[in-house]
This record gives sequence, C-alpha cells and structure tokens, in this order.
Amino acid sequence: MDRALARRLEARFESVLHGPAKQRHDQTEMRIGAGDVQAVLTALHDEPELKFTMLADLAGVDTGSEMQVVYHLWSSTTSDWLRVIVEGLSRDDPRIPSVTYLWQGAEWMERETYDMFGITFEGNRDLRRIYMPPDYTSFPLRKDFYLPDDAARSPGAGVRHVERTHSPVDAEPGVLRRTGA
Amino acid sequence: MTTQTFPTGTHPSADDPSVLVEDDYAFYEPIPPYPPRTEREAEFYTLGDGEMFLNMGPQHPSTHGVLRVVLKLDGERVVDIDPVLGYLHRGVEKLVENADYHQTISQVDPLEYISSLFCEWAPVTAYEQLLDVEVPRRAEYIRVLSGELNRIASHALFLGWFALDLGGLTPILWSFIERDEIVEMLAALTGQRMLFNYYRIGGVNGDLNHEFMSRLGDWMSRAIGQIEAGTGLLNENEIFVRRASGLGVIDTETALRFCMTGPNLRATGLPFDIRRAHPYSIYPELEFDIPTRTEGDSLARFLVRMEEVKQSLRIIDQCLEKMPDGPIMAKLPRLLRPRPGRAWAAVEGPRGMYGAYAISDGTDQPFRLKIHDPSFIHLQAVGALLPGNLLADTMAIMASLDPIMGGVDK
Amino acid sequence: MTALGRTWDRLTLPGRALLILVPLLAILLIGLIVVIGLFGGQILDILIFNLPIVRFVFAATVLLLLSPPIAFVIIYMEMKVIALMNLRIGPDRVGPWGSLLSTVHGLKVLMKEDFTPSRADPVVFTWAPVVTFVTMPLSVLVIPFAPGLFGQDFNIGLLYFFAVGGLTVVGLLMGGWSSFNKYSLIGGLRSAAQIVSYEIPLTLSVVGLIILAGTMSLNSIVQQQGIWIDASGVSHGSGWFTDWFALRQPLGFVIFAIAATAEANRTPFDLTEADSEIVAGFSTEYSGMRFGFFYFAEYIGVFIISALTTVLFLGGWNAPFPFPHISWVVDPGSLGIGLLFVVALVPLLGTLLFAAPFYLFRSKTRWWVALIIGFVLFNVAVAGLVGLWAYINFDWVAGLFWFLGKTFTLVFVFVWMRGTLPRVRIDQLMGFAWKWLLPASLLNLFITALGVLAVDWLRKGGA
Repeated sequence: MDRALARRLEARFESVLHGPAKQRHDQTEMRIGAGDVQAVLTALHDEPELKFTMLADLAGVDTGSEMQVVYHLWSSTTSDWLRVIVEGLSRDDPRIPSVTYLWQGAEWMERETYDMFGITFEGNRDLRRIYMPPDYTSFPLRKDFYLPDDAARSPGAGVRHVERTHSPVDAEPGVLRRTGA
Repeated sequence: MTTQTFPTGTHPSADDPSVLVEDDYAFYEPIPPYPPRTEREAEFYTLGDGEMFLNMGPQHPSTHGVLRVVLKLDGERVVDIDPVLGYLHRGVEKLVENADYHQTISQVDPLEYISSLFCEWAPVTAYEQLLDVEVPRRAEYIRVLSGELNRIASHALFLGWFALDLGGLTPILWSFIERDEIVEMLAALTGQRMLFNYYRIGGVNGDLNHEFMSRLGDWMSRAIGQIEAGTGLLNENEIFVRRASGLGVIDTETALRFCMTGPNLRATGLPFDIRRAHPYSIYPELEFDIPTRTEGDSLARFLVRMEEVKQSLRIIDQCLEKMPDGPIMAKLPRLLRPRPGRAWAAVEGPRGMYGAYAISDGTDQPFRLKIHDPSFIHLQAVGALLPGNLLADTMAIMASLDPIMGGVDK
Repeated sequence: MTALGRTWDRLTLPGRALLILVPLLAILLIGLIVVIGLFGGQILDILIFNLPIVRFVFAATVLLLLSPPIAFVIIYMEMKVIALMNLRIGPDRVGPWGSLLSTVHGLKVLMKEDFTPSRADPVVFTWAPVVTFVTMPLSVLVIPFAPGLFGQDFNIGLLYFFAVGGLTVVGLLMGGWSSFNKYSLIGGLRSAAQIVSYEIPLTLSVVGLIILAGTMSLNSIVQQQGIWIDASGVSHGSGWFTDWFALRQPLGFVIFAIAATAEANRTPFDLTEADSEIVAGFSTEYSGMRFGFFYFAEYIGVFIISALTTVLFLGGWNAPFPFPHISWVVDPGSLGIGLLFVVALVPLLGTLLFAAPFYLFRSKTRWWVALIIGFVLFNVAVAGLVGLWAYINFDWVAGLFWFLGKTFTLVFVFVWMRGTLPRVRIDQLMGFAWKWLLPASLLNLFITALGVLAVDWLRKGGA
C-alpha cells in the first residue's frame, strides 16, 4: 500500500477526482468522470513522476444503476496497481472517449467492452463486435440481459425444440442487483 | 452476395435435416454481407490492385484453436489481416455471476486450458483479497511448485507447436512426452490431468502425496537432459534458425503500446516479470533470473521461453528445499460472503500477465469477474506484425506469440 | 418379387460385384484361350513384327502394375520410420508390424466419395491427377533395374527422363488451378515455381557426369560404374565402389541430391503440400481415388528420384565390391531315384533340426509348437538358399538385389529427412536455387570440362 501515491494523485488530480483515492491491499483506486478520461490518462501516461505506461486491463462494469469503465495501470515508480474507475456512464447510451491513441492494445479491450455492455468508445477506429456474431442485438454482460428472450430472437426462432424456452410467456427479467461498491 | 431469408419457422430444414437448400453460391469471398460498420473494416475490406482475400477459417490444421483470420494477400505477401474471434466464446464472465465463489474456480479453468493453474491463481488471489484471508505458507509453496510445473508443461507444448507450424513433425511428439510426464505428476497431486481445479480460496485442495513426490523426483533427475535434447533439435537446425530469426520483430516501444506482457515482452529487451516487478505469493523469497533477449524476433521469443524452463526448474528445486510444514487451507466458512469491495490480482503465466478483477456486492455470488488474458492482447499485435511477411510466416509468427484460443475467446 | 430379385436384394455390395465379375472373367478367359488356340500363330507373327511397340506396352503395363506395390511399401516405410523417430509405434495392427496398412489405405481411397467441387473446371479437375500419375511409369521406363532388365534403352535416356519428369508440374498446376480454391491455387503456383527453379540445377549437375560418361543412356552409365568392356574391347573398372560417379563427381552428387529432393516435393522443400499453412495445397479439393492418384504419384516420385540417384551416382545395379566368380549348378536330375528320397527326407530332417533348439532349450515350448517353428524356419532357410543360388547364377537377380537395396536406402534417407527437418520458406527456397545451386552446378560443369581437357592434353604427352 503506497500512501505516497494516493497523496500524489490527490494533489495532481484533485479537480477531477470524485472523492479521495482509496487504497486496499496493493491497489490504489481513483474515480473520475467520463469527460476527464483523456486528460487524466494522458497525464498518467506521459508525466515522468507518474509514468503509468503499462495498461494492464480495461474492464466494463454494470453496477445496476450506472455503467463504469475500469482501467488498471502499472508504473515502475510505485509498488501499487492503479485503478482508474470512470463512473457515471448512463445505462441507456454510455459513451466514453477511447484511449487507443495512448495504447493501441486497448482497441480490442474496448471492442470487448462494447460487445458485452454496449459502451461506445469514441475514437476507436474499429468498434465492432468481437465475440458475438456481427448481427447480434443484445449486450450479454448487462444486468438486464435475459437469456430466453435472446433465444426467442434467434434465427431458429424457437422452432427447434431445443430453442423453446421453458419459462412462462409473461416472465419478467430478473431483478437488477445493485452494488454499492 | 444474395442469401435467401426465410420467415420465422418456415425454413425447410427446421423439421427435416435431409432437405438441402441451394443458396446462391455465386460469391464466397469472406466479405461481410453488410456495409462496413467501422473505419477499419472499410479499410480492410477494400481490395487494392492485385490483392485477394484468403480465409484461414476456424477449421484449419494450424491455427491454435478455432481462430478465423482473414488475410489480404498480394500473391504470397500478406498485406493486412483481420482476425475474427468468438468461435470459442463460452460466456465465462456471465456464468461466474451465477455461481458461488468456489464454483468459479472450475469455470475459469478452461480459459487457458494449457496452463490452468494460472487461470485459477489470479481469481483466487483476488477473492482472497476481498475476504482479507491470509494463505498459509505451505499452501503458497505448493501453489508455486505446481504453477512452475505447469509453466514447464506449457512451454514444452509451445516448443512442439512452434516446430509443427514450421514443418517439423518430430519435436511436437517429443514435447508431448515431456508434457505427459508433468501432467501425470500433476494428476497425482490434483486428481486431474488438465483442468486441475486445484487452488481453493485460502489454499490448495490436497497436500503433496507420495506418488507426486516420487514422480517429481524421478523426473527432476532427467529433466534438464530431456529439455536440452528437445531444444537442441530446433536450436541447432539451420533451417529452423533461418526461418525463425528476423521474423516478426517487435521493439519494446511497440510491445508496450500493444500492452504485451510475458515472454513476448521480455524477448524485446524489457525485463518485466510480474514475479519481480510486482511480487506476489512467496516469490520474493526465491532466487531466479529473468531471461531477456533484445532481438524481438520469433527466435528470441522461443529462446526466452526455453530459458524460462530452466529458471522454473531452479524455482522447483528451491521450493522443494524450503517447503514448510503447516496447514494447506486457511480456515474459512463454507459459504463465503465477502464484504462489498473490489480487488485486482495479476500473476505471471507462461504467456504473460494473467489478471482477474473481482467485484463483490456482499452476497455469496461474485458481482463481476473480469479476466484479463494475455493471449487476447498478443493476438492483437499479430495484426501489426504480419503485413509484409509471406503466407508461410503467418503461422510461424502466430505460433511464436503462443496464443491459446480458450483464453482469447473467454 | 421374383426369387431372383429377392436374392439380388439380399446380397451385399461385394457379393453383387463378385456375382457379376466372376462369370464375366470366366467367359473372357475361355474366350482368350479359344482365340489363342485358333489364331495363336498369326497373333504371334504380328507381335514379333512390332516388337518395339510390344516391348513398350509390356514394359509400361508391368510398371503400372508394379507402381502400387512400391508405393505401398514406401508409404508404410514412411509411416513406420517417422513414427519410430517420433518415439511412437506407428502402424501396428494390420498385418505383421502393420505392414498391410498402406494396402488398406489404398482400398480405402477407392471406397471414398469422389466428388467434383461445383465451381471447379470438371475436365481439368479430372485429368490433373491422371497427368501427374502417368508421368511416373513413363519416366521409370528408362531406368535399368538390372542387367537386361529395363524398359527401353534410349541413347538419350537421361534427357527423356528429365523431359517426362517435368510433366508432373503440369498436373499439379492443373489441379491447383481447376479447384476453384485459393489454397489450391497457392499450392499449385508454389509447386510450379519450385519445380521449375530446381529443374535447372538438376539437369546441369548431371552434365558433368555426361561428359565423363560420354553417353546419356542410363544403361551405359550404370555399366560404366562397374566392370565393363568398351567399344574397342578394353576392359575398365575394378568392381569396387570407387568407380561410382558419386566419388568422381562429388559436387554434382550433392547438388543433384538437393535438387532431387525439391523436385520430388519432399521435406524440407514440401511447401506445396505444407499442411500447416495451406491445408493440403493443390490436392485440397481432391478425395477418393483422385487424391489416391496424387498420393501415389508423390511416393512413386520418391522412388523414381532415389532410383535415378542410384543409377547415376551410386552404381546402379553394381555391387560395391567385386564378387569372386563362383558357379553353383544345381542339377536335380543327376540324383536319379535319390531325388525322391531327398524330397521326402530333407524337409523332415530340416524341420526337426530347426525345431530341436527351441524344444530342448526352452521348456515352455510344446512339441508341436516347436515343430511349427521348425517348419517355418526351414522354409525360410530354403528360400534363402534358393535366393543365393539365383543370385549366383543369374546376374539380373544380383543386379536387382543391389539396385533395390540402394534405392530403398535412399528412400529411407528421404523419409529420415521428412521426420527431422522443418520446412523452408518459398523465398528462401527460390533464393537457394537461383543463387547457390545454379552457380554451383555451373562451376561443377566447368571444372569437369577443364579436367577432361587437361587429362586429354596430358595423355597426349603435353603436345
């Protein structure tokens, strides 16, 4: 747990952080909004005292009430992983600037997040589906994705008996689970 | 390309599979039948003068699993590639959300099925952080021991594949002998030959037993000779060296831009190894080197992996010497309910950094588990490496980056 | 339903085939005998009048019939030898040590569905394997298997061989182009480039040999590697392997061996069928017997290349060392009535002789098992003695033995290379042919020519 890192980040980015930088085990977490992504990540990548040149992961999260995109970064200047949570993306039309200009390797990670959540990364040259077929209409990892609905819309349209759902016709999608984390 | 569409429920083959419907076979190019959705897709699917598409489809003797690569060729020279993934997508991240924390371990095993223990290690470490559990030292040593064995097995298989894609039929069978011995050892330890399901939250499943130790001891006495023999079969072969050297050169800048990790990054010159850069488990207590090469070509990646095998043998030796006594599982309740929080853990797998990001919401099922897989990242880099090379090198470069499609497709 | 109809329905496919074929064959056989009986003399006259054509037809038929067995042997060898190199077992079940497996494979390809892809060019697609396969027996026509045992003896035999052998690439190109498949196309084009590039070092490397031998006839080249008498009655050669052209033209031998490997599309030059890159190359869309033709053609090609290397450089049917002249005449008639006793007693005594050690020294062997073993061993011994007699008395048996031994040793070397070496890339392959082998073969040619001139000049006393 690198306390100095938390202080440095709070000093550098205090105008855009949504709260203090939390730390647990060997990870430091900071939360920003979608509009500040490019500024913050460019600063983290380029500035010599921060030097977070390695993007370890780019994840999408559906908290039930909003969408988030989580970046994990590594720097040789600190012993902690840095987690940048971009929160506040709406569940209806989540948009966030892309970081492919910094890391070309983020292109597929953003494609995956788009495919699974529907989050549009503005600036990604190749934002199309990566796992699901190109004409798929749902976003599977969203909390309101309900599989039998999806089967009913498949090309077999429930004609083959294996595609017939066993749920009642008027079933409602499951209750969205919300997390406060 | 015209395809006949049928209204719902009217396709003749719905009831009678012996009915064949003649499509319009006019044009079998792998161009999608819809207008290009993105800039990159438009750029790729426009043919220049004298270029042609070649579809190395999901069924191919050489792609490492079900991967479809659409190549744009100018004669034998590759101009551009477009990998199409998703043929092995199993929706693990969604399945995990409906399972207990313990059940997720067997769900994540088949992601990188060749190195399953590392696929288990990262999520288990993340869960242990969520639960604030400390793993007993003996369990950590056993984890490291079995992990390094799995690393050797994975690199042995890499040797085989790499040679097979270059045309040599013999090394893959020799490396399967190697792998078979290690996998039998791990079967004695974990009960399974391949998808081990061995690590548990708070420790490991079973202690070292007599059969495992006797097989391990027997193998260790022969290991280095066998490995050198297998490596020498390729290293000292002029044709192999000439084909692999200078092939698919990456420099450190490009590698970092592509977020590459593992032996592919170390072959470019940067000695970045999670076991040293961000130590976890008991690696700070062990002595081992990080093999690095500066050329960044396929031969360098091959040699780095072979050196890593030797370092793994060193680590195994030290583990066996220093193995402490004690429990192999921490005391935990049966039903795990971590308090709400987030945790990230990364381990150094044979292919690179294998990461897991776990979010818990206080219930007994994980709220989100995101797996970061190195093969996924490395396959992206192929698109930057292939243009300019010949068709025969396509497979060689992909093999040298060592992707496992189970991990790529999750 | 008539009784005949019901019987026909109950038969299996092989049964139906036999029911039709056997009577047909019987009728044909009887007809043949009748025709020979009635018109035998006239037919024989016609045949003798056209002896060269008859000889050609006969030789071509024999070679076509012998090709599958040779191919089967080589295919089996490849599977078994590569398996043993891979520390596996290989074919094991079909026949002793799996030796009948390739025969079964041959039958299997006959039974597979034989389709033409819908967009392929049907005529070219059908004739491609035929063209590739037919060049093989045509090229084997000139190879001398033993003294007096050859198809034809042209005085431009070597030129004929290279000309006909170059037709294989036409078949490969036809197959690659007509398949309407990009993999096949790439495979076909690669093979065309490869074979054309390697033709030139192949032919140039033997020109030196032709200068030394003074003839292009394969039969005389082989003769000149043994003990022979030239036109003026002078006897040359010592009968030792030092006469072989491999030692007189070492550079040519090496170049020829490498170029021959490339001509036969064998590893390390087997990019045309590199199955880790382009599935099966030009033969991707072929199945059934058409694929079988390509497959056979490849392995017969290996045999032909090995045979040609043997004939040109390794002495052909000459033994590596001169055998002392012994003659062993067996004249059973001279024994008179003793022959009856010999025929009755020798097998019995031989069986007992070979059975005795097994029965006496191994307690587990029961007496009748020992007798069976003894009988089998006795037969093997008699076969060996007969072979030895044939070897001593017929020079063609000796020649055939040495020729096949050397050829199959070279086939083993080809199979060995396949099991060990990886593949080269197309640009490395072409670069190697044009930048290294071609200048080397020209160098060989010049050195040989200069050497011959120098020797002549010295022999005339330096005048």
